[in-house]
Amino acid sequence: MSVAHPAQNPPPPEPAGGGAPPRSRRGLAERMSSELRFLPVALGLLALFLFFATQSDVFLTSRNLNNLLIQSTVTGIIALGLVFVLLTGSIDLSVAATSGVAAVFMSKCVVDFGLPIPVAIALGILAGVLIGSASGRWITFVGVPSFVVTLGVGLILNGVQLMLLPRTGRYNLLNTGVEDIAGTYLTGGAAWTVVLVAIALFALLRISHWRGRIREGLAAPLGGQVLLPVAIMAAVVIAILLYLQGMKGLPMPVILFGALLFALSYLAGETRFGLALYAIGNNEEAARRAGIKVDRIRISAFAIAGGMAAVGGILAASRILGVSVSSGGGVGGGALLLESIAAAVIGGVSLFGGRGRVVGALFGALIIATVSNGLNLMGVANEARLVVTGLLLVLAVSLDRGIERFAGSNS
Amino acid sequence: MQPPPLPDPILSLRHISKSFGGVKALQDVSIELRPGETTALVGDNGAGKSTLVKVMSGVLRPDEGQYLFEGREVPVNGPRDVARLGVQTVYQDLALCNNLDAVQNLFLGRERTGPWWTGFRVRRAECERRARDVLRRMRLDSIALDRPVGAMSGGQRQNIAIARSILWEPKVVLLDEPTAALSHSAAEQVGALINGLASHGLAVLVISHDIHNFVLENSDRIEVLRLGKNAAHFRSGEVTGEQVVNAMVGGKEGVNSAA
Repeated sequence: MSVAHPAQNPPPPEPAGGGAPPRSRRGLAERMSSELRFLPVALGLLALFLFFATQSDVFLTSRNLNNLLIQSTVTGIIALGLVFVLLTGSIDLSVAATSGVAAVFMSKCVVDFGLPIPVAIALGILAGVLIGSASGRWITFVGVPSFVVTLGVGLILNGVQLMLLPRTGRYNLLNTGVEDIAGTYLTGGAAWTVVLVAIALFALLRISHWRGRIREGLAAPLGGQVLLPVAIMAAVVIAILLYLQGMKGLPMPVILFGALLFALSYLAGETRFGLALYAIGNNEEAARRAGIKVDRIRISAFAIAGGMAAVGGILAASRILGVSVSSGGGVGGGALLLESIAAAVIGGVSLFGGRGRVVGALFGALIIATVSNGLNLMGVANEARLVVTGLLLVLAVSLDRGIERFAGSNS
Repeated sequence: MQPPPLPDPILSLRHISKSFGGVKALQDVSIELRPGETTALVGDNGAGKSTLVKVMSGVLRPDEGQYLFEGREVPVNGPRDVARLGVQTVYQDLALCNNLDAVQNLFLGRERTGPWWTGFRVRRAECERRARDVLRRMRLDSIALDRPVGAMSGGQRQNIAIARSILWEPKVVLLDEPTAALSHSAAEQVGALINGLASHGLAVLVISHDIHNFVLENSDRIEVLRLGKNAAHFRSGEVTGEQVVNAMVGGKEGVNSAA
């Protein structure tokens, strides 16, 4: 008997897939860790909908779904931008404060300086972008952890916000025209046009993928790659439209959220820049050796987060017809910051970088808004709402971890 | 008829010395790589193998010595200069992104993209087809193109890293311990892959500890370093594992059997 290989010892663990036949069907868990990442979240959202529908007669009404969608837009838009920073493995704790400062700055431009609204809004967004890039520049230049820098930046911005506000502590935006952004509803032909354009853009993207694969002689099933995804997307969007037509129509914040979602999903999922984000988030050194300009990409991610935070802040200002000390969630970012981060994380974006999709911000924001809206309708107190949202966050992250472990991917 | 003359070395380092503080990592070391040949670089821990590869790949600048490519001395100020010459390095840590699939890793940082108005959209289909072709040519068809490489075996990951190094048709490939973490069968597969590179006319340098199973079977020449100096070099067919090991640890004097 060989001494070197005692029979009692278990064999060393074989790397996964070592003996598997080539091109074995990829398991569900593995697909769920990549392209079907949104599946558990979408199912969770569906379950929440069913639950609240049984608990409250009002929940599924047009009016309530209209409210719910609008409630999710501010958190959702801020989370959209935050995803870019999270993908690189950093975090931006100043997004809520950025949204507050940008909104106050925009209001100051309108009220005190009398600038035209489009100019004021552009300046507000520009301020957000500059704040984000400054944080990113500092983080990459000095090499300090992003959560410390952005925590500090958030406090600085809270101070700046107070300095920008007049002595009354508030700018009133009623009758300035800013309130029209959140107050506009598209109905009839205009609403249908928006929805059809969205479907057409999505279909074009799928078709261009499909045609590319045919041109290169790769497997390109028309059903799976074009027809099915487009049909699902069209069904969901048209269903939402038909539902909202029963109320006032398609709210402008929802259209804005949809447009940003599409643009940023494209940026993260289709472009070289997006790929670089994922690479940096997983293995920064490998990305650097591959010639990726890591610092530039990271600064851009913070700039996007800052810009989206500004958009979210301006939208919030338009909805509540003004800005005040509590714009941007108040000191420290408050619930707005926590819910934006939670939205991204519940949507499957990893805090450790390199995993998750932009569309996750949509699902996460919807889940948070649904819980808050549904529990409100059930007459549950606010403290219970916080507890439930917190539990959902923990559940989402644990589920995520479980899928990853099951899929057998390391890191 | 006379046997064909040896091809001229494509990459040669002459009289290289490199110190870290007071430690002389390399002293007057010379090495030559020829097209179509696999050279194994062996030596005990601390013999200077990794330092030599880092000098060859441009990561470290030598204190003294010459870097010659195709017979001419070339200035080397960093890894980019070396990559531009057509010298690719596969590091021991592989430098793969576990969350990306094989296609994305192969083309990372060098993707084919659409024009600016598409936001430099990655031409996924084109990359995928090229990746498939390269892997097929290397007989690596079993690697799934669209799986995250983090879910793959060590051998497959090693193969992807090697495939990435030859994707842009280099003339020289340097491999740092490609079989260190692999099972025997996976190491054999990597060995076959390395042999394939040399038979296509590339100059290959491979660091390995596995003299008996890997070096003797998969290399044409063996360069032995000991304590930062050239200790011996052999032709793989004319030497036993024992002789190589002796040269590594400084037992008996190595038989210098090369011309």
